[in-house]
Amino acid sequence: MQQRKIAMVKQELKDLHELKQLYQPVADEMLVNMGPQHPSTHGVLNFLLVTDGEVMHKAVAHVGYLHRGIEKIGEAVEYNGFVPFTDRVDYLAAMSANQGFAMAVEKLASIQVPERAEYLRVIATELNRIASHLVANGAMAMDIGAFTPFVHWLKEREFVNDLMEELCGARLTYNYIRIGGVAFDCGKELAEKIVKWIDHFEPMVDEFDRLITNNEIFVQRLANVSPISAEEAMSYNLVGPNLRASGVDWDIRRDVPYSVYSKFDFKIPVGKGFRGTVGDCYDRFVLRILEIRESCKILRQALATMPEGEIMAKVPKTIKPPKGEAIARVESARGELFYYVVSDGSSKPLRVKIRAGSFTAMSIIEHLSKGVMIADLVAIIGSLDVVAPEVDR
Amino acid sequence: MWYLANYLEKNYAVSINGQESAWLIYLIVAIASALVMLGFASLFAGLASFVERRIAGRIMARVGPNRVGPQGLFQFVADGLKLIMKEDLIPNGADRFLFKIAPYFVFAGMLGTFVVLPFGANIVAANMDVGIFYIISITALVVVGIILGGWASNSKWSMFGGLRSAAQIVSYEIPLALSILVVVLLSGSLSTQGIISAQGGLPWDWFIFHSPFAFIAFFIYFVSALAEGNRTPFDLPEAESELVAGYCTEYSGFRFVVFFFAEWANLWIMSAIAVICFLGGWRVPFISVEESTSSWGIILLGLAIFMVKTLALVVVVIQLRWTLPRLRLDQMMNLCWKYLVPGSFVCILGTMTWMVLIDWNSMIGLVLRVVVFAGAFMLLAYYIYRIRFNYMIDRDNYKKMTGKDMWYPPYRLP
Amino acid sequence: MSSSTNLTLGQYFKNIQNAALSTLEGMAVTFSWLFRRPITIQWPDKIEKPLEETLPERTRGILEVETRICTGCLACQKACPIDTISIDMERNAETKERFIARFDIDAAKCMYCGLCVDACPTGAIRHTTLFAYATDNIDNLLLSYVDKGEKVTPFRPKDPQPELRARGSIGKNVLERNLKSKN
Repeated sequence: MQQRKIAMVKQELKDLHELKQLYQPVADEMLVNMGPQHPSTHGVLNFLLVTDGEVMHKAVAHVGYLHRGIEKIGEAVEYNGFVPFTDRVDYLAAMSANQGFAMAVEKLASIQVPERAEYLRVIATELNRIASHLVANGAMAMDIGAFTPFVHWLKEREFVNDLMEELCGARLTYNYIRIGGVAFDCGKELAEKIVKWIDHFEPMVDEFDRLITNNEIFVQRLANVSPISAEEAMSYNLVGPNLRASGVDWDIRRDVPYSVYSKFDFKIPVGKGFRGTVGDCYDRFVLRILEIRESCKILRQALATMPEGEIMAKVPKTIKPPKGEAIARVESARGELFYYVVSDGSSKPLRVKIRAGSFTAMSIIEHLSKGVMIADLVAIIGSLDVVAPEVDR
Repeated sequence: MWYLANYLEKNYAVSINGQESAWLIYLIVAIASALVMLGFASLFAGLASFVERRIAGRIMARVGPNRVGPQGLFQFVADGLKLIMKEDLIPNGADRFLFKIAPYFVFAGMLGTFVVLPFGANIVAANMDVGIFYIISITALVVVGIILGGWASNSKWSMFGGLRSAAQIVSYEIPLALSILVVVLLSGSLSTQGIISAQGGLPWDWFIFHSPFAFIAFFIYFVSALAEGNRTPFDLPEAESELVAGYCTEYSGFRFVVFFFAEWANLWIMSAIAVICFLGGWRVPFISVEESTSSWGIILLGLAIFMVKTLALVVVVIQLRWTLPRLRLDQMMNLCWKYLVPGSFVCILGTMTWMVLIDWNSMIGLVLRVVVFAGAFMLLAYYIYRIRFNYMIDRDNYKKMTGKDMWYPPYRLP
Repeated sequence: MSSSTNLTLGQYFKNIQNAALSTLEGMAVTFSWLFRRPITIQWPDKIEKPLEETLPERTRGILEVETRICTGCLACQKACPIDTISIDMERNAETKERFIARFDIDAAKCMYCGLCVDACPTGAIRHTTLFAYATDNIDNLLLSYVDKGEKVTPFRPKDPQPELRARGSIGKNVLERNLKSKN
């Protein structure tokens, strides 16, 4: 017993020594592990903080705790069989992940997707985007210490989940957007239900603003905290809301139109420094709320103008695309989601590469964390909307 | 309880070896009242934890605990039993003695204040001359306990929590004491019973409505008390999203219960002091101080009034916790030193000037008090209007979407 | 509560006003929720109908197999990306007729993607709305739709349509039997 204890302490000292060799804390600095089991790391992330107490000198992100080798799995399963795995890339916005892969394979096999299926894809992804932003903003509010907004947003997300369940049978991992179309049709009743939900939801966004967004404590906690300039954002390869919050007007839905997005009238909100500097945490928070409102607009238009027709193109049971490679880019809730699929002519892909927004968002944290407080680091992680499985895949 | 001891001493003198021994009676009465206070504090802490969870549940569109006992009322008993039966873990490398003793400092600091807290016209353990002063000084024991617990845990997160708590409580003692000084000025007494006696039963005879300055002083007191009790938005010492659980990260079992017992008992203490100092205490309308001890009925009525006012404040504190986000450390300091401390000085000066210019008993004093009261009432009316607005904005859409009525009274269970 | 260093007097009072008013607004929102209907239900005991019956038609719960119309084509087994389904087809030594000797679905492995349901030509394999099957023994989650020793003759499209059992009843039986027998 005693010897085991001594060995344990020796090992601890050795580990500490190694860490100190690696990060070289000077006097008054200490190394603190934040995560992988920590309430505000949104899953299993690990940050090694070099801090003097409250003020951070450096926060080094350690990734890889949730690596499941999804890209490698892609080489072992058939094209259709890989779609459910893309659900697991980003469990909060699984629709976009489905769509990206489906689009890449459709390009490879030159499959023409029916128009109604494209509309259904837009409806599903926009609903999913709202749900994802709800979690992002709610979790961010919880990191700042307000628990109620989080639960209120999850409540709204519950309605989205119910709608999704009615649409495609699953609440989280949908496997809805298949290669060549979508799996299920959306009936008239369901379309009405979605509209009713939007009618209920839009005033709830205002209520959320009254509850937390305009709250002075919340504003002071986030405004002017770790602003990311447009140059920084681009050089760190940020995508999606994080990029737009820094003032860069770039959205795949509008600038590289795919699906039927070009038929809808919607704005791309850009960070303007709503209560502080451009690109600070508060901008990223407000930008997501604005995007939620825009998504509601797109949903209304799509549901009103949805054409009748097929929902699935004629696709062979076993898809064997010709030799070649294809890329597809979609605007997921966390920004540009990039798929690269190589085919060797067989029924299984030769290579699938996924590039997701959370990974680059993780990489900027070390840069942002210099000189902020521990409470700010939590806000930064929350505002960048890092989803752990998407980081590691 | 001192009245009781005096009464007993006069009528039933106990003699040991032929010598009259008053101290024995005092000792027995002191122990008895200590037990009563402990019983009250633990019952209140338990019920407060239940009420807090129910209110939090309903605010978050959930139901809250509803399984154990009627309405889930005995949930705190079940939780307490569960926690007491848990293993008492002491982390490797912790300072065992300090780690063990820390919760009791917190506990003693909280329970000590109950000595001078009055509940009714003569229901008080000890009517000390320096009651308020005693409260302010004994609550400083809490910070000792929290720092000890944070440091002795041998965990960095705990230490952050302990140090934050030290910074916070030491800073907020100042605006807290200064805002109470306003009341001391008005009443001319440091004793809790004296402060209550100086007020009246009707709302405009309370100190809070004496002048706009006293009104602000009440809010300064309230904010500082929130910070003293580590309640949101000042729960930095145990900020669960930053420091895991702050100073009580490493605690488990009974010691953990003691920390949380103290936190919920503190709810009563801070609300009761606010009621004593600003909201008229146990004073019954239209009944003078001399008459208020005349019959048991009036005493009990005063007790009920005191309880209702305190519990209303407790609900507000609970609701605040589930509304507001948390401040950052530097903002917490800013708020204290740049807003509350200057504010409380202004309040003291303003109240002093007001007292010199306008006599409490004069007609104009009464009119001004009624005016301040009317202003506060308007604020309350606006608040109720906003509540109704929030309710109405979703009512029809909700019914259209789910087919169910949105109305759901707070007590109803599924 | 602003942390900026040069604070004007106007800004100072504006901060106080903002903080007070926004807190009041937030409290009005939270207080109104004391009178509004909660979103949660008290599963599993305090609800009107079992949840399985209220879930939408397309809900993908555990898989069940209507063996009366299973053709034994193994399409579902091939479609499954993670080998959840294992089917053994055997041949009767005397009559040379094929029969299904095993049809196991590992509910612990299944990820409810629904690809097998799409692949099935007759709709024999289908999702139920059952979702509650927590157990302390992983063996309980191996759902055998063909018992050991049972010989199920595959369904041929030209056969007369047999009477089908209600959706969910087969899966429920198998699950309940599993939970009872192997605890």
